[in-house]
Amino acid sequence: MSDVSPLEAEVAELIVRTLTLKVEPAQIQPEEPLFGDGLGLDSIDALELSLAISQFYGHQIRSDDPDTIATFASLRSLCQSIEKHRTK
Amino acid sequence: MNTAALLGPYHADRVLAWEKGHAITYGHFLSDVGVLADLLPERPTVINLADDRYRFLVGFAAALIRSQTTLLPPSRAPGALAHIAREYDTSYCLVEGTEQVEPLPSLQIPKRTGSPAGVVKVPRIPVDHPAVVAFTSGSTGIPHPHSKTWGSLVAVARSTGTRLGFKTSDQLTVVATVPHQHMYGLEAAMMLPIQHGMAFHAGRPLFPDDVRLALEEVPSPRMLVTTPLHIRACVAARLRLPQVACVLSATAPLPGTLAKQAETLFHTRVYEVYGFTEAGSVATRHTVTENAWHVLDGIALHQESNGCSLQAPYLRGPIPFPDLVSMQGSDRFLLHGRGTDVVNIGGHRGSLSDLNQKLNEIEGVQDGVFFLPDETGGSVTRLIAFVVAPGKADKHILSALRTVIDPIFLPRPLHLVSSLPRNETGKLTREALLGLLQKLRNGERHGT
Repeated sequence: MSDVSPLEAEVAELIVRTLTLKVEPAQIQPEEPLFGDGLGLDSIDALELSLAISQFYGHQIRSDDPDTIATFASLRSLCQSIEKHRTK
Repeated sequence: MNTAALLGPYHADRVLAWEKGHAITYGHFLSDVGVLADLLPERPTVINLADDRYRFLVGFAAALIRSQTTLLPPSRAPGALAHIAREYDTSYCLVEGTEQVEPLPSLQIPKRTGSPAGVVKVPRIPVDHPAVVAFTSGSTGIPHPHSKTWGSLVAVARSTGTRLGFKTSDQLTVVATVPHQHMYGLEAAMMLPIQHGMAFHAGRPLFPDDVRLALEEVPSPRMLVTTPLHIRACVAARLRLPQVACVLSATAPLPGTLAKQAETLFHTRVYEVYGFTEAGSVATRHTVTENAWHVLDGIALHQESNGCSLQAPYLRGPIPFPDLVSMQGSDRFLLHGRGTDVVNIGGHRGSLSDLNQKLNEIEGVQDGVFFLPDETGGSVTRLIAFVVAPGKADKHILSALRTVIDPIFLPRPLHLVSSLPRNETGKLTREALLGLLQKLRNGERHGT
């Protein structure tokens, strides 16, 4: 897909690998919700994913409210957060 | 009437809760509870959906004073809430914002009401009052209610505090990552503090850095109430946490090596609690030095021909363990694993036969089964499902499942297959399912 940035493609691959999802990384729409009705992820996934992201990008994810999980709203918002805070 | 006080040692000026850096005293709390108790409708049961621990506790305490019972839904899945709303149709909901569970009425828990009114008497609650109803998923496909008396909640809180060596002069502050609508969260993050004159952080940190911030927001000495998953995440992130006096872990066994790492990295002591919905917290261990679980004071173990059970003055009759355990003397036991029908995903116990029944009730599903692959230490292993549903897409089955089961049990992944490897008697053995899984994984690797 042309509208997916290289980082988004990389993080999509990380999501699929970390959470053993049965979708192709390219099938994750950048604006699609990762939680609930989108990819159907939950708070355990969020924690697993935050671990992988801190290891790969040196970014400690933080949320003031675990239920809104704004950073994880979509692949795109997640990548924007990584881009801003990454140390690796 | 035999009663037990709502609070342990009471000092009006002592801090009960930290809400975004703001201290709320026990005196304020009793004033807030009194205000809300007068506003509650005349209904026997209440679903308290507040995420903020302080507001949840105000609602819980106000309900107790009005002799009402708080229902603890097994999950926030719309199906689960709708089921409880149907079963307890004279309930109402206590909410922070504008949440609704149709057709029940909702009442907003007011924001803090101001200064405490003079000398307040600590309310006393009858010990046999059903304080909460927790639910487990039974093999019948219907959430099974378990009523907990106020006396049992108080007894468990006190015996846990005694075991951990709490003194009322300690004034620990609890930071917890677990939901208070879950028995472990209710016991360790709400009942434990209020019965020991302790304080708690009103938030619910999720990510390691959230945990660090929450701990930094409260004064020392601190206690962290959490799970193996969070401990693993905090260890992997190599966080610099402020001084934590002790860490309490439950929901799944904590690997000894992880406990050791956490103790070294965070200069703390890590204890585990073992419990289950039917009995509440049952036993503890200091993971680094103990393999066997030490039952809480007042609990007696019984070895029976078909397994172990336990008894306590506050429980009705002996309760069998859902897991495989063997006694080590009169007050200790070893944990050997789960019962065959039980799965535990991130602290949510479920029945495989219940999940299978719900799967097979979905329109278009001809045959289907849930399967839990071998678990690996520290991380959460998810269920897998094999489904025969000609002409149906996995998305269709997943969204149907989502409305009837706790999302934590959703299969990861769901495999559509042409048939299940049933033997001549129609049974599905673990070996056969493992074989099928292997075949599917090999197929994926070869791109077929």
